[in-house]
Amino acid sequence: MKPPRLGWLTAALVAAGALCVVFPLFWMAVTSLKTVPEIQRLPLHVFPDRWSNLDNYREVFQRQPFGRFLLNSALVASVAALSSAVVSSLAGYGFAKFRFPGHAVFFFGIVGILMVPFQSVVVPLYLWINRLGLLDTYPGILAPDLVSVFGVFLMRQAIEVVPSDYVDAARIDGASEFGIFWRVILPAVKPAIATLVIVKFMWTWNELFWPLVVVNSPTMKVVTLGLVSFTNMYFIEYNLVTAAAVVSVLPILAVFLAGQKWIVRGVVMSGLKG
Amino acid sequence: MDRQRRAGLLFVLPAVIYFGGVFLVPLLESVVGSFYRTVPGGVSQFVGTRLYVKVLTDPTFWQAVGNTVSLLVMSVPATVGLALAVALGLHRLRSLKARSAWAAMYFLPFSVSLVAAALVWQWIYDPVYGVLNHALAVLGVPPLKWLQSLELVRPSLAAVNVWARLGFDTMIFLAALQAIPAEYYEAAAIDGAGAWLALRRITLPLLNPQIVMVAILELIFNFKIFDTVYATTQGGPAGASQTVIMLLYDTAFKYFRLGDASVMAVFVFVSLLLVTLLQWRLFRRQVEY
Amino acid sequence: MRGARTIAMAAVVAMALAAPSSWAQPKKLVFWTHWEQNPEFNRFYETRGKDFAQKSGYEVQVVTVPYQGYEAKYLAALMGKSGAPDIFMGMTHHWCGQYDFCDKMPADLAKIWDENLPKYIVNVGKWKGVRYGIPIEHGNFQQMYIDTELFKKAGLDPDRPPKMLDDWLAAMKKLTVLDAKGEPTQVGFALRHKGHPVGITDKFLPFAHAFGARMLSPNLEKATTFANSAEMVAALQFYADLVNKHKVASIAFPTPEDAFGQKRAATIFRESWFFGWVKKNAPDVAFKVYALPCGKACPGAGNLFPWTNMVAKNSPHKKAAWDFMRFISNAKDDLDQHQAQGILPVWTANLESAYVKSRPDYQSTQEMLKQPVPPEYYHPKSNELATAFGEAVVAALYGKGQPKPLLDEAAAKMDRILKD
Repeated sequence: MKPPRLGWLTAALVAAGALCVVFPLFWMAVTSLKTVPEIQRLPLHVFPDRWSNLDNYREVFQRQPFGRFLLNSALVASVAALSSAVVSSLAGYGFAKFRFPGHAVFFFGIVGILMVPFQSVVVPLYLWINRLGLLDTYPGILAPDLVSVFGVFLMRQAIEVVPSDYVDAARIDGASEFGIFWRVILPAVKPAIATLVIVKFMWTWNELFWPLVVVNSPTMKVVTLGLVSFTNMYFIEYNLVTAAAVVSVLPILAVFLAGQKWIVRGVVMSGLKG
Repeated sequence: MDRQRRAGLLFVLPAVIYFGGVFLVPLLESVVGSFYRTVPGGVSQFVGTRLYVKVLTDPTFWQAVGNTVSLLVMSVPATVGLALAVALGLHRLRSLKARSAWAAMYFLPFSVSLVAAALVWQWIYDPVYGVLNHALAVLGVPPLKWLQSLELVRPSLAAVNVWARLGFDTMIFLAALQAIPAEYYEAAAIDGAGAWLALRRITLPLLNPQIVMVAILELIFNFKIFDTVYATTQGGPAGASQTVIMLLYDTAFKYFRLGDASVMAVFVFVSLLLVTLLQWRLFRRQVEY
Repeated sequence: MRGARTIAMAAVVAMALAAPSSWAQPKKLVFWTHWEQNPEFNRFYETRGKDFAQKSGYEVQVVTVPYQGYEAKYLAALMGKSGAPDIFMGMTHHWCGQYDFCDKMPADLAKIWDENLPKYIVNVGKWKGVRYGIPIEHGNFQQMYIDTELFKKAGLDPDRPPKMLDDWLAAMKKLTVLDAKGEPTQVGFALRHKGHPVGITDKFLPFAHAFGARMLSPNLEKATTFANSAEMVAALQFYADLVNKHKVASIAFPTPEDAFGQKRAATIFRESWFFGWVKKNAPDVAFKVYALPCGKACPGAGNLFPWTNMVAKNSPHKKAAWDFMRFISNAKDDLDQHQAQGILPVWTANLESAYVKSRPDYQSTQEMLKQPVPPEYYHPKSNELATAFGEAVVAALYGKGQPKPLLDEAAAKMDRILKD
């Protein structure tokens, strides 16, 4: 069923690596439970004095309407993830299974978008959003996030592996092109779609620069803007930044854990491993 | 055009139109801007290729390029290699539950915004209060200056990058590994091939598309690194961590030289395009089934 | 997949409903500031704006922009005309000098400010002799904060601080504690060595000015022979020696504020907001504030980032904006606003108020204001010039070269920037 195992050594290395990787997040969580004097105390104490110290969290929500930020981020990230899934799947299918004029140009053009530094298009993009009257609105925040280049890449690769016989068979049966897409292709690449949705959701959730430029009202801010408000030109309030970071991460974790099951289920149940 | 070709075009059209509208138009405006210079007072003057000459002969610019390349060399192979190793390790775990659990832990860094991650890492790297030096002290090693050291600042930042991206690439590799039919390995085992040979002859070639994709993505991502540097060292100390994008940002918004910044953007775009095409050509191989 | 479609449609409907409606809103002036660390100060505009609304019909809405990235946001918005703020806080020589985004201040208002500002700050908010902006931060010049406990422990009298740089250096040496390996565990001076080179320049300038040096020519048109003058080289040598020779400052220490707050540094040069920070974040540090030590000259009250309030040229509510500025341009508003946040007011008249007299930096502020005004560098390219200069300073601190060649290179670079 699987390639030969190296046994417990592999498991131990994998586990050790995972713990190293998680450590900074653990550190972040632990710092969020400390008071400022505790954070700067020497010699270093790893654990907070009081595990139940939620003062930092209280202050985060008091200083800013952080709950509203969470809602905004959730809305923006959900819409971005869904729209990316749809459009990227369509494009991925087109690039994977069809030949048409402009195929290479379009594909490399899209990949090329990744190579454009966002900082250099932010002003022209902002001016366009401004002209359309979309400043400080959800569509404005969503504008650069509706489709993902990575998504097109990923879906193309996932769909490439789907045997063309299935598609041909469906065509012979008289299915419409879109029908084939809907009924043959999409079910076959569920894990990839789930991956894309999760990744895009997380990526959009954590975006800072564009929301910074396009959002003005406190009620339209997203979570990253809230987090950055605990740093300023003079100093960084680590106790509050870490608390805000933990609050921002929890919803994503929920999405990830829910989505992970879908990916795993998709892989196990799909009969298309060959 | 026959039905299939038309269908293919229609499938890709939404994405093409979106990217064209949202990114291509601003990109073109930005490229056009690279031929203009803003004088005090805010007026734009057409100056032809003068800004190209200015930027491409500026030692600060090339120092930034050098810093970026140095960061790339430290981050990309490490990320791709480690991700591959971890994915292979995870793949060999018997229990699905264990695999999901450990895989989730590797993926966790991706859930934190780059700014938050950078700030936490800055705290970990702190020469006095940071937990890293604390751990070193326990081992009897003198404290290091990490982000405040000329030599260590780039490796330290590279480590943060690898940490942030590892889980993402691991997931891609893991998904691909799980799609490899078991029969291949069984056939190899029958032929008497050992684990290493199976890895080289079966796994890696089959994973080639993903490896190429991940390598390209990592290269692009690391070349464009901004948030982590901006939130921590701001390009210091003494310009040792000033990357091209950091310089681009400062040039555009702190020095108010949008034209020069556009030149840098064009440079980034063209460089990445060339390198990507090269990677694509050199490493993409046809896989025999 | 039908579920996904329903969700998507619901999201679109939610978005449409949630989009802020642009009709049926009272008239308001939008005020952008990136002074996130001064929320009480910012709130004052809204509070007074309510009073202002009663006579003019315009309320004031304050938008606090993150400092990180504010330049990009301001530029994009001011270029876009609609969506731009009516009033915004920034540096006059950037937004009114490099760009043409500011409206000229009405003459009567300009006169009020010219007459009521202390001499060091009169030029703040002006470009080429014309006033566009109102300075909002008086105490934006560095003063010397000392940890009285550490002074006493070192056998120094905290009530008789060093007045000249040589005495100061001697005191720093006494205040530095080295460990067995010769590395400092406590330093005399909390030095700024991290972050953007502009900030590094800002912290080095008092030393430069104390040595009688200046970064640019008086007309701000030349750098060579000024940025690399003999006095500047001496100043940078002195500064670098603090780290590399005398070890009274360290580049391995955390940020200077944290070092001072943790009692690991005995002195720090910081602006007037600092004592509020210490009271909040390091309440057990006993400190006093004094004037900066002098050398050939006294550093005086100088700053590199003079923050001002300006009115946008393309604002459709320009007149109302200036009316509001007029409304709060008086000694009482100035005092109330700055007192609410614990920072120094701007009006000369308020410098003798009970509030200011009760501040720990009252005496030192008076002393420094009596000194001659130090060189000013209000130039549109100040960021880029200060960055080029700051890189030389950092390189010297890190021992990456000798002051003279580093400053020669920086001066040449600065001239190229000026000529461009």
